[in-house]
Order: sequence, then structure tokens, then C-alpha cells
Amino acid sequence: MANQVENNAKLGLFVTIGLLALIFSFYMIGKNQNLFGANFQLKVRFSNTSGLIEGDNVLFAGIQAGTVKNIEIVNDSTIEVLLTIDDKVKPFIKENALASIGTEGLMGEKVVNITPPKVPGRRVKDGDELASRKTINTDEMLQTLSQSNNNIAAISEGLKTAVTKLNNSAIWELLNDEGVVNNAKITLRNISKASANANEMTKGLNQLVTHIKQGKGTAGLLLADTAMAGNVKEAVARIKSAGNNVNNLTVRLNEMVKNLNGSLNNGSGTLHMLLKDSTLAKNLGTSMENVKKGTDNFNQDMEALKHNFLLRGYFKNLEKQKTKQKLQDSLKAKELSLK
Amino acid sequence: MDFFVKMREYFNQTGNIARFAGNFFTVGMKPRYEIKELLAQCYFIGYNSLPLVGLTGFIMGLVLTMQLRPSMVTYGVATELPVMVGIAIVREIGPVITGLIFAGKIGSSIGAELGSMKVTEQIDAMEVAGTNPFKYLVATRVVATTLMLPILTILGDAFSLFGAYIGVNIKSVTSFHLFFNDIFHSLAYSDLMPAVIKTFFFGFAVGIIGCYKGYFSNKGTRGVGSSANSAVVLASVLIFIIDLLAVQITDLFGLN
Amino acid sequence: MKTAVNASNTGSKNEAVIVIENLCKAFGDNMVLDDFNLTVHRDENVVVLGKSGAGKSVLIKCIIGLLKPDSGSILVFGDNVPELNHEDLDRIRTKVGFLFQSNALYDSMTVRENLEFSLRRHWIEVTQHDIDNLVKEALENVGLPNTADMMPAELSGGMAKRIALARTMILKPEIILYDEPTTGLDPVTAREIDKLIVKLQKKYKASSIIISHDMNCVKNTADRVVLLLDGKCYTDGTYEELHMSADKNVKQFFE
Repeated sequence: MANQVENNAKLGLFVTIGLLALIFSFYMIGKNQNLFGANFQLKVRFSNTSGLIEGDNVLFAGIQAGTVKNIEIVNDSTIEVLLTIDDKVKPFIKENALASIGTEGLMGEKVVNITPPKVPGRRVKDGDELASRKTINTDEMLQTLSQSNNNIAAISEGLKTAVTKLNNSAIWELLNDEGVVNNAKITLRNISKASANANEMTKGLNQLVTHIKQGKGTAGLLLADTAMAGNVKEAVARIKSAGNNVNNLTVRLNEMVKNLNGSLNNGSGTLHMLLKDSTLAKNLGTSMENVKKGTDNFNQDMEALKHNFLLRGYFKNLEKQKTKQKLQDSLKAKELSLK
Repeated sequence: MDFFVKMREYFNQTGNIARFAGNFFTVGMKPRYEIKELLAQCYFIGYNSLPLVGLTGFIMGLVLTMQLRPSMVTYGVATELPVMVGIAIVREIGPVITGLIFAGKIGSSIGAELGSMKVTEQIDAMEVAGTNPFKYLVATRVVATTLMLPILTILGDAFSLFGAYIGVNIKSVTSFHLFFNDIFHSLAYSDLMPAVIKTFFFGFAVGIIGCYKGYFSNKGTRGVGSSANSAVVLASVLIFIIDLLAVQITDLFGLN
Repeated sequence: MKTAVNASNTGSKNEAVIVIENLCKAFGDNMVLDDFNLTVHRDENVVVLGKSGAGKSVLIKCIIGLLKPDSGSILVFGDNVPELNHEDLDRIRTKVGFLFQSNALYDSMTVRENLEFSLRRHWIEVTQHDIDNLVKEALENVGLPNTADMMPAELSGGMAKRIALARTMILKPEIILYDEPTTGLDPVTAREIDKLIVKLQKKYKASSIIISHDMNCVKNTADRVVLLLDGKCYTDGTYEELHMSADKNVKQFFE
């Protein structure tokens, strides 16, 4: 009998601890979701919630302040997000605070960041609406990830040296040589084409990365996505810096051409002397050739990138649009000629 | 021909188990209630299983963390390890591992106990002694398994998470507070609720199958052995089937 | 050792306590009991003799209500057992003891708990003092007063049988059904059990049906012997009558 009583006591202990653990976990979860304790509500309107879901955290100046309670589509460009905020942070949130959607960590969940305003404001009331701010996280990511830009960087290096030579050498010769001028023209065209390509590419990649970032799914998929996103990001960064280099080149070339024009009008001493130096002029010609080759290479690289599996779809679409445009243009031309 | 005989046997048994489970609700739930025996069974089934469940849970949490760590590090998300392990344990590994261990320990013991009671006519003797053996033996055990497994699972989860905490701390340093916050931060009711609810069904399945196999055990020691064995096998399979159903149902309700 | 049928000192001599009529029970195609008839009177020891698998155990399990016969009636104290509901069956079972072939001691309980089990179950209104006294008395009856706190697994075969007998007798039943009480025991122990059965039967003035194929047991305990053959009551008489019988089927038991 005594044994029975003792057993019952042990059983009671066991059950009590188990139930307490259960209640405790429920409480902890509830606490994190602000189900218990005093809270109030705020509204924010976004044009794009970037995959925010109910239950996501709300951070006020980086401190856990509440959770997303409800997400409702108001119209095609407005989504209203209802936030449940702990009463404890109520005195600190001003009505002119800005809300933005961010990410917790690199691949973490979405969060709503409430940023305190620079100028003082009135305290928020229950049910107030906060202004939202658009953030482009992809840009940050791209900026942080610009590193080696091997091939393209080499090309731009070549271009740079070529331009330096150009700047410092026989410019008068250049004036007499039709071919050199033509080469310079072609080079410039190539360069501008290259930078246009680079721009396009960057845009496409931007879009792609945004898509990837918005993509939701199980943990495994997410991991796979980040791996891919990392690759893409790096590629984008390289291309971007290459594009920047090309831009710089273009600017310099422009300057150089201006200088050329200026020299032609003024006819200064060095230029005059340079005019007679045929070897220099030859060198200049080969330099221009080099520049041309360099930009050609760059264009080839861009072309290769276009066919990269990641971006194929995007460029295919672009091409389709172009051919469509051409078709329409030719049709129009025909119509005109018929008239 | 042989195939049809086996199919028939299978359907026969399924029908019998369903009827047995039905009896539990019609006969077993009527007074008089065998409270004292129920408490004794709860003690035996719940309290006595805790060391085993705790140990397996602890090891599972530890091993899972150590196994996951390298790939998490590869992706540079080693700090997400507590979250990952916490969700895995609470949602799936805790309930299923505990359920399987429980089926192994309790399912076999119920199958063997009732089987030997059947073989040695103890069940008949109880009936002669004015006791409904179904209520006294089956209902008490099924109620006990149904009520005890969820509690064991919760405690097993706790042990598992502690194991995971140690696993995280083997290769890096995380304060208990941070670990704890990470886990509860990432958990939602929709993680814990279905996990707790399904363990009731796991427990019921283990109890019903163990009792059925024992109650209809064949004569002889071989009969007792095979009833204990098939109780474990069938209960384990049922746990997986219920688990599958549970995940589909939670999916339907949009709780995933 | 035999007690005459009419030697009863209760008021209602010759009163029939069990009347079995046209009892049929089949398992699948196997007709175990086929139109079986038997009447047991007060204070009478009836031995049912038969080969293994002849349906002897089935017979007494039908009497106590553990098995449901296919047809026929079993009147115990005037109540037809197959038609009784659970409560009435439990009421009958307080008056009918059953000694199982394998003793069926609950091996998760001590001897005392084994003995108390049916007391607590059947007589809800009973004090602990009464229970203690009854357990003590039952254990003394079978000559094992110091075994109360042992577990069934610690008992020898003979002791276990005695404890099982004590458990059967603790409710002071008016009818006792013995399912092969001496099977699996050595001859010496078997004779002790025989003596115990007769002693207790006299002490509590109970009627009994004893299932056996042990002829020594039959000789020691029987007032009347019934031979169960092919599901029917083949012969019915005293031990001597059967012993003298020239019938081939009866004779084979005495060889």
C-alpha cells in the first residue's frame, strides 16, 4: 500500500513536470507572438511586402517590438500590414517613424523595421498608420560583393594603358591618319555598346537576385537559393565594376577627343613636333587597334554571359522583344512605302 | 491463391482491430472506471519509460546537431543551427522517436503481458472474479498510453533540446539563454500544436495494438512472443502512417 | 472417501443446482458438445471424464459464462447462464468458483492481492478487517498460512495449485468447477490436492464438477462419474459402476 502511494506520488510528479513543460512552451511561444501581455496595433502600407508573412517580427530600432498580425491586399499597389506592438515600446515610437521591410540575417525571415525619425514627433496611438520606406537590399548586397573581376578587369586594364599611351603620345599623327580616327570611333562605339550591355546585364541580374531573395520555401530550397544567389551576386559585382571601368574609359576617351579638337584649333608646340614622328604615329595606330580588340573581347564576354544558363531566359526575352520591334518597324516602313 | 488468403487475413485483422478500438469507446469508457489500475498503469507506462525516452531523446538531439553542423557551416549559417534543430525536434523527431521507443518498450510489454495472461487463463480468471477484463486490462492501458505519450514526448523534446544545446557547444560557444531564445523565437503554435496532438494518436495506437495482439494471443510461449513482436512492428508502422496523416492534415489546415 | 448423494445435511436435499439441457457448442466444423445433458445436485461431486479435447473444459467454461453455447440451456440456481446480462452473471459468479487448469494466478500481484482481488471485486461493501480474516482463513485452509506476501512466480506447482484453490474458495462458493486440478502435479502432491478438494467441499458444503482424466483423482473425489464422449453424456454412474463396466469406451480409462 505504501508502495502504491509512493508510485502515485512519482506519477504525479512526472505528469506535473510534463504538463508544466508543455504550458511553459506554449507560454514562451505565445510571449514571442505577443499573445499575452498588453499590446497595441499599428498599420503600415507597402506596395510590395517582399514575402512578409503573418507572425514575422517587428523590430523597433533593432529591438524585438512585436509581430505582424495580418496582411491584407487593399488594391493592386497597396498592401496593408497590421502590426501588433508591445505596449512597452509605445512611448518610443513616434508617428513620423518609418517602417520598412528588411531581412533578418542573410537568409533569415522577413522583418518589419521601424526606424525612429530624425525630427521629433507626436507619440503613436493605437491604430495609427506609419509611413513606409522602400529599401533596395539587393544594391547593398551588390556593393558589398564587388571583388575580383578577372577577365573584364584585364581588358579594362589594357584599355587603360592604351588610353594613357594615347594621352601622352603622337596626337598630331592621329590627326593626319584617317584610319586612326576611324579606329577611335569604332572603339568608342564598342565601348558604349559594352557599357550598355553591362548596364542591361546588371539590371537583369538585379531583378534575378530580387526574385531569388523573395523566393520562399523549405529550408533546403532556401539554402540552394542562397548558394545560387551568391554566384549570381558575384557575377553581377564583377560585371558592374567592369562596367564602371568601361565608363571611366569612355569619359577619358571623350576628354582625349576634346583635347584633340582643342590641339587642332590651337596648334601648340608639342603637337606640332609629334606630327612629324611617324613611329609614334604607328604606335598610336597599334594602340587604337589594341583598344578595339579589348572592347571586342569585352563584348564577346558579355555575349558569353548572355548565354549563361542563369541569364539565358532574361536575354531571350529581350531578344524576342527586339525582333518583335524590328518586325514592327519593317512593317511600318512597308506601310509607309506603300503609301 | 496464397495471395488472396493473405489479403483476407489482412482485412480480417484490420477489421478486428477496428472493432477492438470501437469496443474501447463503447465498453471501455463506461463505468465502472478502474481508476486505481489506471494510475498503476500510468506509473508503469509513463514514469518508468522516462529514463529511456530521456536518454534516446538526449542522444538524438546531440547527434542531430553534430550531423547538421558541417552543412550549416558550409552555407555560412551555423548560427541558425539551434533554430533548425529546434524545429526538427519539436515538429518531427521528438514525437516520432519518442513514439517509436514507446512502441518498442510499452507495445511489446503490453503485448507480452496480456498475451501471457491470456495463455495462462488469467484473463478468464478475472472475468470469473467479477471484473470485466476489457475494462480492467485494455481500457486502462489504452488510456494510460494515450495520456502518457504526449507527456513523455514533451519531456523527451526537452531532453533532446538539451542534447542539441550541448551539441552546439561542442564546436562553438552559445549561451543557454541565446540558444533558448533562438528556439522559442523560431517556434510557433503551429509547430507545437500538431506535434502534441499527434502524440495522443501515437499513444492510442500503441496501446490498442499492444492490447489487441496480447488479448488475442495464440496459445503457447511462441504465441506470446509473436504477439509481443507483432505489436511492436504494427504499432511502429502505425506511428509512421499517423505521422503522414498528421502532416497532411496540418497542411490542409494551412498550419505548415 | 466418497460421500453419498443423500448425505447432505442441508435442508433441501437432492436439490438440483446445475441443470444442463441439450447443450451444443461447436468450434468451426468441430462439434465439441452435441446435445449434452447433465444435472448436478447439492453436495454432489461430479467428475466429468473424457479424453483430451473432448470438450470437458468447454463444458465448465459454458457453465461459468466464459463461453457462449450455440444452443441449449444451463440453469445455475434456476438462472439460464447464456441469457444473463453482465450484472446477473457476476452475481452468479460469486456463488460459483472456478479452479483453472493453469491456476491463473495474477503474476503481477502478491498471493494476498490475488486472494483479495475477487473479494474486492465482488463484495464492494467489505471492510479491510474482513478481508484480512478471510485471506488468513483461506490460506490456513490450504495449509499455506505464511505465503501471503510471496509472488506467484516464487511458488512451486503444488503450492500454486493450493493458492489457486484458496482463491477459488475465498468467496465460499456453493458450486466449484475444477478444470483438471491434478494435471501437471507429481502423484503425491496430486493426492494432497484430492484430499484438500474433498475436505473443503465438505467444510463449505459445496457441489462441484471436476474435470479430470486422472483416475486416482476421480477415485478419490467422485460421488458420480460422467463420461463425455463425442460431445454426449456417454455413461453416468459411480466410480465402482464404471470400473465394473464391460463397455470398451469406458474400460479404456481404467487400464
